[in-house]
Amino acid sequence: MKLPYSLFSRRAFLNSLIGGWLAALGAAFIGPLLKYIVPPTREPDQVSVPLADVKDMAPHTVKGFPWGNKPGLLKKTEEGDYIAFVGVCTHLDCNVKFVAEQRRFFCACHEGWYDENGLNVAGPPPAPLRRLAVSVEGEALIIKKQV
Amino acid sequence: MNVLRAWIEERLGLRAVTLFLEKKEVPRHKHTFLYYTGSSILLFLGIQIVTGVLLAFYYQPTLAEANASVVRIMTEMPLGWLVRSVHSWSATFMIALVFVHLLGIAFTKAYRKPREATWVTGVLLLGASLAFGFTGYLLPWDELSLAATKVGTNLPKALPVVGAWLTRVMRAGEDVTGDTVSRFFIFHVSVLPLAVMAFLGIHLFLVQRHGMSVPLEAERKGVKVPILPFWPNFAFREAGVWLVLLGLLMTIAVVAAPGIGPQADLMAPAPEGIKPEWYFLFMFQTLKLFPARVLGLNGELVAVLIMMAGMAALFLLPFIDNRPFARKGKVITVLAWAAFAYAVGMSIWSLL
Amino acid sequence: MEPAVNGRLRVIAAAAIILLGSLVASGILEARVQEAPQASLKTAADNAQGQETPASPRPAKERMAVYILLAWVWLSIAVLLGILRMRVREADRVYSMGLDRAAEKAPKGPGH
Repeated sequence: MKLPYSLFSRRAFLNSLIGGWLAALGAAFIGPLLKYIVPPTREPDQVSVPLADVKDMAPHTVKGFPWGNKPGLLKKTEEGDYIAFVGVCTHLDCNVKFVAEQRRFFCACHEGWYDENGLNVAGPPPAPLRRLAVSVEGEALIIKKQV
Repeated sequence: MNVLRAWIEERLGLRAVTLFLEKKEVPRHKHTFLYYTGSSILLFLGIQIVTGVLLAFYYQPTLAEANASVVRIMTEMPLGWLVRSVHSWSATFMIALVFVHLLGIAFTKAYRKPREATWVTGVLLLGASLAFGFTGYLLPWDELSLAATKVGTNLPKALPVVGAWLTRVMRAGEDVTGDTVSRFFIFHVSVLPLAVMAFLGIHLFLVQRHGMSVPLEAERKGVKVPILPFWPNFAFREAGVWLVLLGLLMTIAVVAAPGIGPQADLMAPAPEGIKPEWYFLFMFQTLKLFPARVLGLNGELVAVLIMMAGMAALFLLPFIDNRPFARKGKVITVLAWAAFAYAVGMSIWSLL
Repeated sequence: MEPAVNGRLRVIAAAAIILLGSLVASGILEARVQEAPQASLKTAADNAQGQETPASPRPAKERMAVYILLAWVWLSIAVLLGILRMRVREADRVYSMGLDRAAEKAPKGPGH
């Protein structure tokens, strides 16, 4: 359909072309800029803890280990196995601690409680503590992200 | 859209500004290209602020972490090396343009009445730009920057009475230490930016108030110079100039990205071949050439005094050259060319 | 506008959209490359005390991405300079014909 006159002036068209192209040029840099501003803080793929350090743990006790920038919690169960959690509260990211007398994990920020298997039992936490997979390999305990 | 504009206009009353910009005119003559230099400096200042903030996200201004944080930016952060490269090259571009701007104004004598105050704020801005370069150079804390800072902060010591105290203020103590890094950092990111904003505000206000100056011959003959409206004619030309400058900056930042040397060791001997950034080379060479004693006085003191006299002459140029059309004006032009040749010659010599 | 000029502007518009799209796409690709390069860049950490860390040991994919981005930047500049030239010539034409001041000279309507 041919119009008898143009919908916008030559001037407006050229102005829009310039503005649009400049915007695109700017947009091309937004991606890398955002990546720079928020660098990926990847968690480690796995962490190894020497078996010697944890062999003598009594059941129902917890030992800390570094999991990247977060605290990891290694717990020895009744049967003598190890389970591991990421010791970060699922409510608002505070670090939790193990209260041995109650065999529960406690988050001081808003008084959240998790039982000895990491299940959220009281207070605001919406989900259980994140589990990590533990396996024994030779002289070390290998702790990995749970698939 | 028009409703929004009316809303803002009722409260801020910016119509005065847009009316002024619509009417603003730029004289058109063979030196019109010099009018691009001022705004180009502003462009690079903007780039410095943006890249500077990005660098400051990850840079840590402490003795232990300064060098390591810069290495981290360059190797771990996505395109961190490019952010740093742009910041470094944009500094060079900006200071080069400041010199071109200064020379343009000086040789066209645009500082003559009524623009003396504009010139004075301009010289203050030149000083601030050089201070930016000097303080920024130390921040990566590698061998070269430590040596350059030691030499640079040693200069005031030659002055009587206040010299040693000035050096102690700059260095935060007798020697260059971690405290010096902190001090230079806060100057670089806080004190100097505030000073530049203040000087720039006055400088830009005065430029708008007096308009662009016209060449000497035109003013002397009373000829009316043809003009170009600022918006859109001059502004779109300026946009073209900015685009080319940005392209050059990006290209050189990608192909000639600076590296970083090993962490500075306060106990190690000075590395060979230290030299300051290019804009200080002529002063560096002058100091090297000065004899140890001149007329019974300390050579370095004489050199520093001469440099200070030069800076004072630059600062007061409009008041010294108060008769630009007379023979005095022509003599000063010749002297200005001589000073320029001296600075260029000394810089080149120092590189040989 | 005459059909010839109209056609030319349409071609320009089409080329602009295609090139603009590729420009933004190259930026996104560039960002995606940044996900993975960190592994090979760890060489900096192992760098012995006395060595300089150049800006250059970058993985090949990232290097290509940056050169491509640079090529797009220059292409954009060339295109933008062309469009700016058109706009500047129009502005100069308008000014020399005195059209921007013509609004003031126009006679006022009956209500004034």
